[in-house]
Amino acid sequence: MPETATDLDTLVRSEYSAGFVTEIETDTLPPGLDEDVVRTISARKEEPSWMIDWRLDAFRRWQAMALPRWAHVRFPDIDFQAISYFSAPKGERPKSLDEVDPELLETYQKLGVPLHERARLAGVAGVDGTGGESPPDGATSAVAVDAVFDSVSIATTFKDKLTEAGVVFCSMAEAVREHPELVRKYLGSVVPKPDNFYAALNSAVFSDGSFVYVPKHTRCPMELSTYFRINAENTGQFERTLIIADEGAHVSYLEGCTAPMRDDNQLHAAVVELVALDDAEIKYSTVQNWYPGDEQGRGGIYNFVTKRGACLGARSKISWTQVETGSAITWKYPSVVLRGADSVGEFHSVALTRNFQQADTGTKMIHIGPRTKSTIISKGISAGRSQNSYRGLVRMNAGAVGARNHTQCDSLLIGDACGAHTFPYIEAKLPSAVVEHEATTSKVSDEQLFLCQQRGIDPEKAVAMIVGGFCKDVFRTLPMEFAVEAGKLLEVSLEGAVG
Amino acid sequence: MSLLAVEDLHVEVDGTPILKGLDMAVEPGEVHAVMGPNGSGKSTFANVLAGRPGYEVTAGAVTVDGIDIAAYSPEQRSHLGLFLAFQYPIEIPGVSNMEFLKAAVDAHARSAGLDEPSPVDFIRRARNAASQLGISADFLKRGVNEGFSGGEKKRNEILQMLLLEPRLAVLDETDSGLDIDALQVVADGINGFRSDDNAVLLVTHYQRLLNHIVPDWVHVLANGRIVRSGDRSLALALEEQGYGWVDD
Amino acid sequence: MAGSTTDAAALAQRLLDIGERSYAPWLDRREWRDVIERGGLPRPRSEPWKYTNISRWYGAALAAAAAPQRHAPRLHAPREIEVVEFSDRRAAAFVQAWQGRAFDLAKQPLAAVNNLLLGAGVVVRVPAGTQATKPVHIEDMGAAYQQVLVLVEEEATLTLIEQPSPFTHRIVEIAVGTDARLRHLRRQAASPNRECSLVGVRVEAGARYALAQSSLGADLRRNDMLATLCGEGAEATIRAAWRLDGHRHLDNQIAVSHAAPGGFSRQTYRGVVGGRARAVLNGRIHIAPRAQATDAALSTKNLLQSTTAEVYAKPELEIHANDVKCSHGATVGTLDEDAIHYLRSRGVAEDTARALLIRGFLREAVEDLEGAERLRLFSSAVPDRDLPT
Repeated sequence: MPETATDLDTLVRSEYSAGFVTEIETDTLPPGLDEDVVRTISARKEEPSWMIDWRLDAFRRWQAMALPRWAHVRFPDIDFQAISYFSAPKGERPKSLDEVDPELLETYQKLGVPLHERARLAGVAGVDGTGGESPPDGATSAVAVDAVFDSVSIATTFKDKLTEAGVVFCSMAEAVREHPELVRKYLGSVVPKPDNFYAALNSAVFSDGSFVYVPKHTRCPMELSTYFRINAENTGQFERTLIIADEGAHVSYLEGCTAPMRDDNQLHAAVVELVALDDAEIKYSTVQNWYPGDEQGRGGIYNFVTKRGACLGARSKISWTQVETGSAITWKYPSVVLRGADSVGEFHSVALTRNFQQADTGTKMIHIGPRTKSTIISKGISAGRSQNSYRGLVRMNAGAVGARNHTQCDSLLIGDACGAHTFPYIEAKLPSAVVEHEATTSKVSDEQLFLCQQRGIDPEKAVAMIVGGFCKDVFRTLPMEFAVEAGKLLEVSLEGAVG
Repeated sequence: MSLLAVEDLHVEVDGTPILKGLDMAVEPGEVHAVMGPNGSGKSTFANVLAGRPGYEVTAGAVTVDGIDIAAYSPEQRSHLGLFLAFQYPIEIPGVSNMEFLKAAVDAHARSAGLDEPSPVDFIRRARNAASQLGISADFLKRGVNEGFSGGEKKRNEILQMLLLEPRLAVLDETDSGLDIDALQVVADGINGFRSDDNAVLLVTHYQRLLNHIVPDWVHVLANGRIVRSGDRSLALALEEQGYGWVDD
Repeated sequence: MAGSTTDAAALAQRLLDIGERSYAPWLDRREWRDVIERGGLPRPRSEPWKYTNISRWYGAALAAAAAPQRHAPRLHAPREIEVVEFSDRRAAAFVQAWQGRAFDLAKQPLAAVNNLLLGAGVVVRVPAGTQATKPVHIEDMGAAYQQVLVLVEEEATLTLIEQPSPFTHRIVEIAVGTDARLRHLRRQAASPNRECSLVGVRVEAGARYALAQSSLGADLRRNDMLATLCGEGAEATIRAAWRLDGHRHLDNQIAVSHAAPGGFSRQTYRGVVGGRARAVLNGRIHIAPRAQATDAALSTKNLLQSTTAEVYAKPELEIHANDVKCSHGATVGTLDEDAIHYLRSRGVAEDTARALLIRGFLREAVEDLEGAERLRLFSSAVPDRDLPT
């Protein structure tokens, strides 16, 4: 009889389909980081002087900071002087979609990201045949895309339609020029420059990213999305995203990411800031599929990201949903600062690690305002020789009268060479707040596999199905487009040759 | 050619011999009952037919429609038409019954070179089968066996049997844990399934199920072999006199 | 913080200056010097000391080091148990064979402080197959820095009771031999002192270790504990209850490490915190790659009774094997007002209702203890004034 564990092991090996390289001429800064590099990045983006000063201040603070070492991940020291901090396709930024380099359009086509204004995001067409809900009709399911290629945004779609509704959706570089009052007010307001080592680095050298402003009492007419692609070799990506939902505004934002397969590790250190004013709601969903490295653990992206939302207004709501299957190392804690009374924070996460991947991810829910509420659902799946950690903080400050948190944190182990860890921090400073935390660990059992096989289902499909069931609570919180993509991604990540 | 032919089957679990030369032939249209005391090897027999890992066939052969299944994986055996209703059906949290059944039915269709049924057709079939077993439609949306009562789990096994339409259904202690009403529903399901083309193998400790599903043959398994075979009267004799006398 | 840094530096310097010691001169102090020289003392606000200001202990530790007083340890043990003081050379063989086996001493700089300043030590040995007729009681050890080495040999059984008694640093190292049993009761009374302790337990195959601990906190109290299940089928049950008010401080850092297959462990913590007190629990389950078929669980529940009290709970899992049953749960909240109302509607006064509910809450931590032990724990965990009359 074959060992089931061995079967499972082969099951979770599969190819990375987004690992191709786009051959395109680029304008890339030589490796190295000093004040001149910071100034050069700023100059390339034609930034005003306040922005240069802001970056330089961050750079000086960063120089005084030490690399954080507390996460449950191991990697050799990063040589920050060996990385290039800016790379962009040659030439002017295209003014319209027609001007975009066909090579780039093809890249996004291959990745299933539509850079035209007709289609929806990839993966929507195929509905799993179990009679689930049908996809929303074409009109409402269109998605506006901001496509970021290495250090620059190359295209943003549906701008006219969004402008009509008063929604600003553009690249960060454009926002600095066109909406300086909003950028100056909110940039760094949620994640301050010296917040942590990588946030400080990002503040100094951030390249592009997306900017969203949804005006008062406006429901954004379509899903917004940014697709991040690292292409250039030996280059770091440092995008910066800022989303502001004014009073009573609603917005749903999706983020996707991929990179070519390379033997070297590449650094991705983004900062995402969300601001929700009174009664506003922001839903932020990520399907993170950065190149995870090969079977021997060579290569892959170091994904060191700071994501944080501030529920500034009363009754505001911020939801983070993430599906993490990529990156050699993930170090990421999408958080919510619950300042407004009755504000709500949510974190829903699926993190799948295999081969030699390491993930240290979770969230922070900082309850400051009265009757604030947070929910955390984390599903970690470890396979191969990977290490998968949940790290979370729930803090009830003295003013958080009647606040509540519920955390459910589940781990699924596939094979016996991986690790699943849970490090929840609970800090409570008042009696009327209630915190509940639960964690469980399970494995894909031989009995479950055998039942599926006895009913004629092959082990590959069976594992994908069992893992899908394990993640169901999180998938149901994803927007339709992403739920399908996430399910497929998980299935692809789990598939491989079965003996 | 027999639907199922078992010849001199020897099986070990963790190096301990459990089956020690079992012979049996099942023809289309027949119902066989395998009875025996605890530890006689009944469940081992059921599991080894389905190819459960951990059961080592050390000698003998099993053929289905003349095909030696020794090298067949559990799912290939399933595609051949071999169905096992588990004694202890396992839970698969989060995976809905419907999703699970669709995956199984699709896999069978593909293996037979047929198109997968359309979702609409499938749902209709699933609902029909469910109502036949007195199962509410809501049941199909719940996770596989998740939080099911003992009786619900057993009905769920029969539901899967009806949808997969196997050639040989092996029912391992399907009557255990069922009250009398549930037993009747399950028995009606099994009787409705019977045809000239398929066969049923009931593995059971007690003969009460045989009041509802009348077997053509009854085999008594003791110490890893079939020690006696006969018609239904053998089951009644066992009920009256216990398993002690078969050893004599 | 300048003053406290000085305390740490002064303490480290004092440790390095120590020459020949008259007490237990056979104790090899070089490796302990190395620990201090290489790694130094823990820095305030480092991760293990996130919620306890270690500098406050350094001050106390320095003061205690300056005034070492010693008299014979007060320890009650039945006749069949061998008790050897460190002042007796016979202790050397035991200590050399067992010291540092229960935890990684290099990672325990406070153990180095203890060993370098050691003023009282005792070995308690239960010979193989011996069923102790009475518990061993550890009372006043007579010195600020103290150690107890407990050897429960194969198939022996013992109940060990740590009675409330003062110390600056105490190490309890325990080896529970194959198929042996040890019940360990720790009673920690309210104390104006700053006290740290370190308990290390090795549980061999088929052996069982059970801890029940009650604490009322101190000006600073820190309990570090590591129980390692190193033999197949070993068992550890850890229960702790605490009740803090005033400015009391309690920091429990408790880990159960499964190093062998088929282990079983339960950790149950219940805390009630009021006034301006601070309670910390870091409870950890570690499962090594070879520790398959492990069954481990941890539960911690906390009641906060004032807006100035603080609770920090961190239940951790670190799992490197897949065939395991492992879970943890944590809650922080306050007494259920509906339950109080229910009791009041039955004529019970509000204060009594609260006291009853608190008792019930704490009882969960100790419910499977025998009556007498439970009572003893309760008498310290629940002060009389809370008991319904």
